[in-house]
Amino acid sequence: MTTHPANQQFDVIVVGAGPAGSAAALLVARAGLKVLLLERGEYPGAKNVSGAVFYGSAILNELIPNWWEQAPVERPVCRRDIAFMSPTTAVALDFRCAGAGFATAPYNGFTVLRPKFDRWLAAQAEAAGAFVLTSAVVDDVLRENGRIVGVRVRREQGEIYGKVVIACDGVNSFLAKKAGLQREFHPHELSLGVKEVLGLDPAIIQDRFHLTDNDGIAYEYLGAITEDVHGGAFLYTNRDSLSLGVIGQVSSLVERRKRPYELLERFKAHPAVAPLVRGGKLREYSAHLIPESGWAMKPKLYTDGMLVAGDAAGFCLAAGLYLEGMNYAMQSGLAAAETAILACQKGNFSARTLSVYQKNLKQRHVSTDFRAYRHAPSFVNGPRLQNLYPEMVAQGMEQIFRVDGAPKRKILPLAYRMVRQSSIKPGQLLRDVYQVARAYLW
Amino acid sequence: MRIAVCLKYVPDPSTIEVDPLTGMIDIGRVLYMMNPADESALELALRLRPPDGTVTVFSVGPIEADRLLQDALAAGADAALRVWDDALGSLKPIVTTTLLAAALRVKALPDLVLCGGHSVDRGSGTVPALLAEHLDWPVVTDVTQFEIQSGRLRARRRLARGARAESEVTLPAILGLETGLVHLRQASLPNLMRVKYTPIPLYGLEELGLSPQDLHFPAMTLHEVMPPRPRARMMFTPDVGGSVQERVAQIMSAGVAGKAGKILESGTPEQQADAIIAFLCQRGFLEQPT
Ligand SMILES: Cc1cc2nc3c(=O)[nH]c(=O)nc-3n(C[C@H](O)[C@H](O)[C@H](O)COP(=O)(O)OP(=O)(O)OC[C@H]3O[C@@H](n4cnc5c(N)ncnc54)[C@H](O)[C@@H]3O)c2cc1C
Repeated sequence: MTTHPANQQFDVIVVGAGPAGSAAALLVARAGLKVLLLERGEYPGAKNVSGAVFYGSAILNELIPNWWEQAPVERPVCRRDIAFMSPTTAVALDFRCAGAGFATAPYNGFTVLRPKFDRWLAAQAEAAGAFVLTSAVVDDVLRENGRIVGVRVRREQGEIYGKVVIACDGVNSFLAKKAGLQREFHPHELSLGVKEVLGLDPAIIQDRFHLTDNDGIAYEYLGAITEDVHGGAFLYTNRDSLSLGVIGQVSSLVERRKRPYELLERFKAHPAVAPLVRGGKLREYSAHLIPESGWAMKPKLYTDGMLVAGDAAGFCLAAGLYLEGMNYAMQSGLAAAETAILACQKGNFSARTLSVYQKNLKQRHVSTDFRAYRHAPSFVNGPRLQNLYPEMVAQGMEQIFRVDGAPKRKILPLAYRMVRQSSIKPGQLLRDVYQVARAYLW
Repeated sequence: MRIAVCLKYVPDPSTIEVDPLTGMIDIGRVLYMMNPADESALELALRLRPPDGTVTVFSVGPIEADRLLQDALAAGADAALRVWDDALGSLKPIVTTTLLAAALRVKALPDLVLCGGHSVDRGSGTVPALLAEHLDWPVVTDVTQFEIQSGRLRARRRLARGARAESEVTLPAILGLETGLVHLRQASLPNLMRVKYTPIPLYGLEELGLSPQDLHFPAMTLHEVMPPRPRARMMFTPDVGGSVQERVAQIMSAGVAGKAGKILESGTPEQQADAIIAFLCQRGFLEQPT
């Protein structure tokens, strides 16, 4: 790479060096095409935020065999917990898997720290031949005869041309809006995640979380943790730190006048969480938006000369049990790259040619997953499932286990009484059960 | 006019984090940048450069410093040169300046050398003066403004306690500039892209015509750093011999006498230095040399 590419036309311009953009640039570069990866940060990943468990190990393994041996990963996730919380109690479902694919290659997921991970991934794209330019903020798309032919970087003589532009600029994509592909989001479609990284001795982490060697655990929390704000919380183990955070729907944060960091403090003080984070020393604090409404937020994914991938396209599955965005970002980035490569081969960059993107997304299970879970977000992210039911489960368990001289109740009458005491109508409950089933079971 | 600018590759203080577990600086997270004072020196050089002039940037530093030199090229510098040798250990200012002086000579000496007065990491503030010693050129430090007219440079200096001074020197000369005078211009996109893979010429000891012995200086050790000791204050007692009126007048004026300064104008530099040391010893600022 000693050529001077200034003023030259690129085959593909990728905007945003998150997992979507770097994966796309990597694949395009490998196809021998000229690709420019533009990133506004001082280095890729500088300001990027996730929990983060990266569940795309198998996907990345196809691109870079045994990638985890060279990438800055923290711990493979071999245990997953889902906890239902009331203000004082917690009921958890604990999944452990020491078996193939979780604790062994290609692994199911790894905890990662985004600044390191994103930087590494972009370096892979660079090594494959992509031209990676940092400190480059894209502030508009360039059009000729109605089609997109490049982007403008916020610098002198910032116009740069490419046959296909792939917008991977994250949630609330500026580019997708500029191209008229995406509308403004409603506050109920976005969540705000606030997150801390707490330093902790690896030996303490192993002891405290009952982990063998380098294994890791991912906890997701539902229920009273976010009070009446719709949302949840998470806690993941890194090598020598914990990542933990609270996620709250923007509209309900505003309505309830709750500040996210207050919720984070409450979360850390919860009796089920406090012993886990005790002694942790604050290393970093960050906040970021999450597109939570899945299918409903999906923009038009392509237009003449441009494709949208990753969070920019709303491909983030944030639905109770799941908080997965990086893997879908990567998958959709790869699908977009495949589409762009095909368009370059054909020499045709019209929306018609680029519509293959939809097929490619299906093949990579992105659109199929989001279609399948299209009913999940609006309902799962609603108040009853995120707050009320988990809290009832936690309280119910408390009553089942409580021995206080009062007559023991069987579970059904107990449940019946709890429902009666709550604001939920029996008909509503049945409908909810059906909805949960529809969201997750079939 | 040919202008040289010395750039230092320094850690960005806002990225320095102490690992709470080990109490050590987390090296992996530190980002590096162009020393701010050097950055404004570069911008001033670019503004000063006449149409037929050149700005060449120099840096003593590891391969990572290439990025900073590339940034300087993107902003408009004409040429860049990096000095490094794996044999170099920690860089004391005297070593850095020996290398810089040699590098300046390799490129044919310029008319003006601009340096940032202080770096954010070591901050000894000695580089401009040491460089001047190597080249035997005049140096002006703490410069906030300067102008050049027919080979003479007039500089405004900011001194301690709000004092200002103006100095005039003949070119070639070296300036040590204050931090934050101006911001470095933003590079255009084509320039930014052009320099990304521009190789930066590297000069090792051999290319500079130096041997490791040339970098061997008598070891200097810092034993102790002390705040300046406040001088014992003399209580004023009026002269008992005088009249009542005289004593009252003396008490009313609290014995104030103007500060007496003395300008040493004669003698060799060595004799003048001895006189200053003697004065400081006499006033209790320095201990009597044994
Ligand atoms: C608190 C929190 C926890 C999460 N936890 C997880 C988790 O555990 N697992 C998981 O898989 N996902 C998680 N997610 C979701 C995940 O972070 C996102 O889905 C994922 O980062 C999307 O990747 P992306 O490449 O599409 O976008 P991003 O990672 O957001 O990258 C976008 C990139 O584009 C750059 N950019 C933006 N605008 C411009 C511009 N105008 N010009 C140039 N560059 C630009 C940005 O700097 C950035 O580098 C979490 C999110 C949050 C907020």
